[in-house]
Amino acid sequence: MALTTPPRAVIGTTYRPYRRGVENAILGGVCGGLAIRLGVKERTVRILFSLLALVAGLGVLLYMVLWLTRPRSGEDEAIGHRLLGRRRELHRVLIGLIAIFACLFVLLSHGLPNIGIYTWPLLLSLIAAFGVWRGASSDERRHLEELIKSAPIIGAPAARTRRSLWLRVILGVVLVFIGLRTLRHVNGYWGGTTPIFYGIILLVAGVLVLLAPWWLATLNDLSGERRARVRVEERANVAAHLHDSVLQTLTLIERAAGDETAVTRLARNQERELRQWLFEPDQDAQSGEGTFTSQLHALESEIENDYGVKVELVVVGDCASDADVLALVAAGREAAINAARWSDASSISVFAEVEPDAITLFVRDRGKGFDVDAVPHDRRGIALSIRQRMLQHGGTASLKSALEVGTEVQLCLPRKS
Amino acid sequence: MGQPRVFLVDDHELILSGIRSELAGSVDLVGEADEVEAAIEMILERTPDVVLLDVHMPGGGGLAVLNAVSEKRPTIRFLALSVSDAAEDVISVIRAGARGYVTKNISGPDLLDAIYRVAAGDAVFSPRLAGFVLDAFSLEGVNLEAGDVDPELDQLTPRERQVLRLIARGYSYRDIGTELTISTKTVESHVSSVLRKLQLSNRHQLSHWASERHLN
Repeated sequence: MALTTPPRAVIGTTYRPYRRGVENAILGGVCGGLAIRLGVKERTVRILFSLLALVAGLGVLLYMVLWLTRPRSGEDEAIGHRLLGRRRELHRVLIGLIAIFACLFVLLSHGLPNIGIYTWPLLLSLIAAFGVWRGASSDERRHLEELIKSAPIIGAPAARTRRSLWLRVILGVVLVFIGLRTLRHVNGYWGGTTPIFYGIILLVAGVLVLLAPWWLATLNDLSGERRARVRVEERANVAAHLHDSVLQTLTLIERAAGDETAVTRLARNQERELRQWLFEPDQDAQSGEGTFTSQLHALESEIENDYGVKVELVVVGDCASDADVLALVAAGREAAINAARWSDASSISVFAEVEPDAITLFVRDRGKGFDVDAVPHDRRGIALSIRQRMLQHGGTASLKSALEVGTEVQLCLPRKS
Repeated sequence: MGQPRVFLVDDHELILSGIRSELAGSVDLVGEADEVEAAIEMILERTPDVVLLDVHMPGGGGLAVLNAVSEKRPTIRFLALSVSDAAEDVISVIRAGARGYVTKNISGPDLLDAIYRVAAGDAVFSPRLAGFVLDAFSLEGVNLEAGDVDPELDQLTPRERQVLRLIARGYSYRDIGTELTISTKTVESHVSSVLRKLQLSNRHQLSHWASERHLN
């Protein structure tokens, strides 16, 4: 008997993917996001996690794993995924991992196998926390920095009052002291690795509490400095670009003030270039191999430059270029040049659509048009360059024209794959 | 209906005066503003038929004006006007309620035509906007959850697709009517229905798609 899986979406309820919360986040938004996903109260989820944390620290580990593997609401990538994509960060995390395991290995080989049940989950959580810190998006990073800064004792605001200073020093010293005491027990009556582990944790916590404000201050300085530097660089880049392109063109326009076509051409050229720079910054990088779209953009600027005719280019979809696509673009180019030369229209519309099974390309002008039947059959432009070329590559070409209405060339290229 | 009452919003004085001289005599210019706050106040006070709205302005841009006004006076229609063709900008003003989008290099008669169309309650799609819509509603969006798609709103009918393709190819509404042997009024109703889908569809890829397109 075959089981039918019930459809996931129930009418009346929308399917909500589980993302970590942002608005209702305390730490990483894991509980908040889960509460939204399940439609229960946040407090319920938090209490559950806390209870689970008492069971050998599993709650903490689960929390960290979810933090690493679930994307934050409004972001596409989970932190873990992002770390995997970044080699250097991944290496750091791996090195940390190896170091910790090496320490444990040394301790274990000294015949101290008595590791407390909390040790492994907590250790793994620590590693995960390190990963989260390295891989958090800049937005989340800011949230975490704010969180640390507003933490009750170690946070930066606390550093200001004298009372909290004393509190911090005392707490730090006490932690360090207990840590040292615990470590000394190793050779005493307790034995085992557990006290070593907790001793080290207490020691580190003590040092952290003592030094946190300074660390935070340097962190702030560093990131502030980095931001400022980035801003200055960005500004210099923009200024350089504007100078190279826009200012030059404006000077040329001033010089050519009498020549209307020259001015229009210069202005259009600059407009296109600036637009490209502003809105499609990656185009330059791609143009090496050239996709269908980038080739059409090149065609657009070529026609506008050489013939002073405006090209209204609309492309839907994109695909990689091959010999067939090149032929299609070449045929389109021929059609556009014909339109620019003979139609007397001030603008040409070029529309291309890439569909799974075919690419279509339309070149249209609203110029004077011509009588299709009156053109001798051997006229090379249309016959050879357009129709022949398309037929050779398995495509089709057709042409419509009417006097005083305009001309349209329709090209269609079936796709093989 | 006489001349539509038109209000201009643009922070560039040159553009304002250019449009003013192009439209003078053909429409009833009831006022203009060069910043968001003033624009909202004056539009609410003068209730024009059509607001010609620049998308990029300091202080929230055209989007802020749109949001503030359309809540209180839903009858005022907006035609967005911009130098930018970026999909993100185009889609966001349309989704906020603008009935059309034209770029600033549009010719005088075309702009006038667009204004009259918007005043009559129709939609105005530039070829590029038509291309965007085709792209955004492309069939590759089938990776949606099956229960998530509302066929009424999230898919274009074959006829609407045809009309959009012709707009993208540079056909005027009248040409499209001739081509498909339907009346211009029918073409307009197809375009209006696409506009409605564009505004109401909750395809999350729509805004997602636009911002992604901006990035690459």
